[in-house]
Amino acid sequence: MHKKQWSCLFFFFLITVLYNSELTAQTCRYTLTGVIKYAGTKKANAGLTVMVKPGNFTSTTDSLGAYTITQLCRQQYTVEVYKKNVLLQQRSVNMAGMVTLNFEMVDEETSLDEVIVNAKRDANINTIKQTVSEKDINQTRGQTLGEVLQRVNGVTVLQTGSTIFKPVIHGLHSQRILILNNGVRQEGQQWGSEHAPEIDPFTADKFTVLKGAGALKYGSDAIGGAVLVEPKALPETPGTTGEINSAYFDNNRMYVLSGMVQQNLKKIPALSWRLQATYKRGGNSRTPDYWLWNTGVKEFNYAASVIYRKQRFTTELFLSAFNTDLGIFIGSHIGNLTDLQTAIQSKKPTQNIDAFSYEIGRPRQEVSHFLLKSKTMYKLSEWYKLNIILSRQENIRQEYDRAIITNRPELDLNIGTTILDISVEQNEGKPSQTQLGVTGTLQENVWSGSRFFIPNFKSTNLSAYAIRKWNTQAWLLETGLRYDYKTLTTFRNQNNQTRSLEQNFNNISASVGATYKINRDLRLLMNAAMAWRAPQVNELFVNGLHHGSASFEIGDSTLKSEKAYNFSAQLKYEPDSSWNIDIGVYYNLIDDFINLVPSVPPTLTLRGAYPTFRYIQTNALLAGTDISVQKIFNQHWTGGVKAAILFARDRVKNDWLLQMPANRFEYDLTYNFSTRQMRNSYVQLKWIQVLEQTRVPTGFTDYLPPPPAYNLLNIEFATTLQIYNKSTTFGLSVLNSLNTQYRDYMNRFRYFNDEVGRSLVLRVKIPL
Amino acid sequence: MKKLLLATWVLAGLVSCKKTATPADENEHESVNRIVFSFASSGNAARDFVMEDPDGDGGNPPSRIDTIKLATGVTYTLDVKTYNLVNGVAKDITSVISSQSSSHELFFIPTGVTLTITKNDKDRNNYPVGLNSTWVVGSAATGSLRFKVMHKPAGLKGPNDAPTVGHSDIDLNIPIKLQ
Repeated sequence: MHKKQWSCLFFFFLITVLYNSELTAQTCRYTLTGVIKYAGTKKANAGLTVMVKPGNFTSTTDSLGAYTITQLCRQQYTVEVYKKNVLLQQRSVNMAGMVTLNFEMVDEETSLDEVIVNAKRDANINTIKQTVSEKDINQTRGQTLGEVLQRVNGVTVLQTGSTIFKPVIHGLHSQRILILNNGVRQEGQQWGSEHAPEIDPFTADKFTVLKGAGALKYGSDAIGGAVLVEPKALPETPGTTGEINSAYFDNNRMYVLSGMVQQNLKKIPALSWRLQATYKRGGNSRTPDYWLWNTGVKEFNYAASVIYRKQRFTTELFLSAFNTDLGIFIGSHIGNLTDLQTAIQSKKPTQNIDAFSYEIGRPRQEVSHFLLKSKTMYKLSEWYKLNIILSRQENIRQEYDRAIITNRPELDLNIGTTILDISVEQNEGKPSQTQLGVTGTLQENVWSGSRFFIPNFKSTNLSAYAIRKWNTQAWLLETGLRYDYKTLTTFRNQNNQTRSLEQNFNNISASVGATYKINRDLRLLMNAAMAWRAPQVNELFVNGLHHGSASFEIGDSTLKSEKAYNFSAQLKYEPDSSWNIDIGVYYNLIDDFINLVPSVPPTLTLRGAYPTFRYIQTNALLAGTDISVQKIFNQHWTGGVKAAILFARDRVKNDWLLQMPANRFEYDLTYNFSTRQMRNSYVQLKWIQVLEQTRVPTGFTDYLPPPPAYNLLNIEFATTLQIYNKSTTFGLSVLNSLNTQYRDYMNRFRYFNDEVGRSLVLRVKIPL
Repeated sequence: MKKLLLATWVLAGLVSCKKTATPADENEHESVNRIVFSFASSGNAARDFVMEDPDGDGGNPPSRIDTIKLATGVTYTLDVKTYNLVNGVAKDITSVISSQSSSHELFFIPTGVTLTITKNDKDRNNYPVGLNSTWVVGSAATGSLRFKVMHKPAGLKGPNDAPTVGHSDIDLNIPIKLQ
């Protein structure tokens, strides 16, 4: 039945494609292609917009500087090349067959200029940053945010089974990473290792990872790095556009449907809006050997935004809702240490039903996240502009585990956050720029349920920051300074006695960064940052059972702030347009690093004994390197190699730190068809190699040693076809194509089950 | 438009007005933290033995675990009763387990003593439960009894499960003396 479903779907897809491509070929069928290069360097000029009039056909130049426009008729057209809405060149062309039209842009657009253009848009150019490529975004549509971000070299995921993915940057995660969802700090219960970020990747089309502690503007506590999730800008030209994305994952029979529609009003050109919604439903996942009972997922998300743009004034309102209901593998739900040992000893999970189902039962999580944001920009003068961002977030997390008496969740956490951010920014175009800002945050957390984990609290955070940048011909310098003052009031009720406790934390953070253009091909970026993070409420006050890991966690209310001294450097070498070499190194010293370590005696309960873990502070060092080399061999073949290596030390015990990602390598080879019919088509083979984590602490004997190294082979195929005059993109992936049986050290459920096996994924993207 | 915006913000503010100052009780409730073993034999008053952990998991370890004392050669009927103890008030939740009997099973594993234990009650699938059992006491000895309540959700339960199937709702070692 299942196989049948699949082949049916594929057949339908094939028929649709063949039929429609045949149909459209009868009408306007001419194609215009070309390459845009810099006149002097002859380097590819990527990211330019090519517009063909009449008809307003557009295309953006890719990393090779190439563009393609199809569906043109036999007639005279005007071709315009734009860079950020600025018209650079204009030529006319007479279409009569397939025409190639190459452009050369005047030499002032050198690669250094590229850097400065980016710097003007982004306050954090001097942090090592990497954006998820469009190809990777397309290949991960339908997957979680953690899986999207994993495409960035140096980013791994912390998994809880097959349904929960948290991004890990250079070995750090949870509250040491800051996620900015459309410019707003994501505030939920991010401290939990089994609490995934509540963001629908379909709302965004740009994912940027800032590695290291340099992202001062967004908060001082991001000592591991920051993630920027940004939606596409709302349309500025009149008309209605939209997009439908759908995906089907054969492993857990998950289907995903996401739609977006946006409009710029003809009558009120200053006004644009967008609506977006996603629905996702998946069932039990399957390892090469068995199904994982209760690993289904159900998700419904929606977002709306409206913007009003005038010459000096822009205001924007954004609303989003994320709702997920996800199952947690039944075999991971254990009562005590004895149960855990029983589970570990059996190679195949015993507490499992080896069958498929869409049903989601206990244990499970139900999480909702709502965001309302208003952003206003006002141009004070020719040189200064004012930004005001006000946001409100509500996060409701309900965790259901064992239910003895009622059907209510055992843990129900509700956190609300209001953030006001006011900043004044100097305009682009000056050789130096300053940005000043203040941020105020109010947060309240309330818990209910039968199982205590973290207390109710109120917290306020006031901060001020200043960022200054200088641009010269060869140098780009940036310094930042930030001051934070945080008050945390916790409310507790133990044995019917209510108490409250107020704690204050304050500190200064600073960063300095420089980008130096050594020569035309070589660029060096250096960054030094000092940041701190106040202990979070779970680290201070947690006192309870952590399900799934059968451990009892105990906090320490006397913990101090963590302080990080982060040094990083990046060398980018592009000797000719076919090579792209990127070498990053980092050295992150963290004093008073808050670490969860095992302690004796075990906690005794009526349910048996539990190993006990306490939060203690130590000094840590996280150092490593991310290396990426890419080569374009010819118009058909490209290849790449990536490596991410991390050493994480406990400087007090002089030992390794627990649960850090193992060395990871990736090799890919892509064949681009580059033919008239298959212009945006490629086949990619990707080999992912994860070594065994041998750098584990000697003092702690894990229940199960780190799993052995594994190799995965993924195959990706994508093509764009014209169907009813729409450039419809199809993607077909085979993940874990060899159906490799493996476990990953960074999956908290590695004690219980194998990772999921082979999955065929079909994706369709239809523009409206 | 501006008024609407303002109203939304005010509303958002109101919704967020929470009673942070009076938090919920931190002691785990809705869980078993008092167990009573009630042994009855013909012609004698029932003997009760108590195991309890008033502050639940964590905090202090279980405050009371009685030694089960049984007479040799006697046949007893055991009724296991479970309670949820919050602030000194005990709520009988045995019926909750019996109403969910198809996903629970009780186990009695003696070491060092001779006991013949037969579970009398069955769930709707005719599988053993163990809230009521018959105990035939052997010769005088001192040992321990491992008592487990296993939770087996979603059809995990079978007719002859080992005591390791499911996850432990209760797992206790109780001293036992046959005299």
